[in-house]
Amino acid sequence: MYAFIWRLLPGNWFVKLIFALILIAAVVLLLMQYVFPVIAPYMPFNNATVTDGGQ
Amino acid sequence: MVNSSSSGNEPGANPPSRPTIRPAQRQIPSSHSTGHSGSVDSANAHSSHGEQPLPSRRELRRREAEAAAAHGQPTAVYSDAPPMYAEQEPVHSSQDVTGRRRRGQSRQREPLGPIRGTVRTFGELCITAGLVLILFVVWQLWWTDIQANRDNEVLADELTQDWANQDPNELPDDPDEPVVADPVEKNHAFGIFYIPRFGDDYYRTVAEGVDLEPVLNRMGVGRYPNSAMPGEVGNFSVAGHRVTYGKPFNQIAKLRPGDEIIVQTKDGFYTYTFRNFDIILPDAVEVLSPVPDEPEYKGKDRILTMTACNPMFSARERYVAYAELTDWTPAQDGPPKNIKDSKAYDKVSQNGGA
Repeated sequence: MYAFIWRLLPGNWFVKLIFALILIAAVVLLLMQYVFPVIAPYMPFNNATVTDGGQ
Repeated sequence: MVNSSSSGNEPGANPPSRPTIRPAQRQIPSSHSTGHSGSVDSANAHSSHGEQPLPSRRELRRREAEAAAAHGQPTAVYSDAPPMYAEQEPVHSSQDVTGRRRRGQSRQREPLGPIRGTVRTFGELCITAGLVLILFVVWQLWWTDIQANRDNEVLADELTQDWANQDPNELPDDPDEPVVADPVEKNHAFGIFYIPRFGDDYYRTVAEGVDLEPVLNRMGVGRYPNSAMPGEVGNFSVAGHRVTYGKPFNQIAKLRPGDEIIVQTKDGFYTYTFRNFDIILPDAVEVLSPVPDEPEYKGKDRILTMTACNPMFSARERYVAYAELTDWTPAQDGPPKNIKDSKAYDKVSQNGGA
């Protein structure tokens, strides 16, 4: 999978490396900005309130 | 190696030369045992000048190989020799070309068989999943704190600026009676908590509502809707994270009876004094009633109830801290003395006019 991505990237190894780092940064940003905030409420340690139904 | 050497022995054209050559062949690798394919060039060149039988042997081998190649079976004979021989024999320029071509070929040959390819991809996906999980933990335990604290500072600045542009509520006739803070819309901040026990620089905004987004995750602590406002008779109840998202109530278990919790609003400073704590189940809403745990009574005290999760990183129980209003200072009289010189108040007041 990663070898395939590496082969898809254009340029020589240095350009590829830069592209790869940009790709990684984009994935990390996407996860932290959009994916994790959606998952977080289902984690077992984020409840601070008392409610009728519990939880 | 074993296979190739055995296969090379069979078609060998000169069996009698072998016994005499073998010891010499052994000497070369032993004297240059550390050298790999890169240094073999010089090693062979050196030995070819120094020793008599070796060049002849290589000559023999080359002839052998050429003969075999002419017969159309180059690999079978030639596999006897170590791989370096194959690359050494041709002229230097062509050798470089073949080397490059080899590397290029191996790159083109990359696609593995379906099974190896699947296994490799599966492994890579597993590693990726692990990295994503680690990233999630980092985000949850570290990044949400940074983000929430930053948001909180901005919010506190906005709030104090707002207050500077508004007139405080009219003071009651009785100077001991606190002003009751005006209710605000949901998801809007209306006050700032200072808890000296949590640190000299501790402050968190308090907003209306107890939804995770946006209040608890980004606006500090949240007030339970329909509970009392600061200064009002009844139960002013708030919830806050004990871990993650700026963890406003991280140290809630460190509160000791007599500790002061100061809530600043547009109108002034409400000083609540911590009295006791309790550990309850998540559905124990009666702790929010005007007389905590006694929902049937109306009560006449001004109570502050703070809830957070317990134990840390678990939603199994809730930690509740009860405090009671003991003092009140109108905004124009300045902050109470226990937060007057604190870093937290410095920071908040430097921006607004509160």
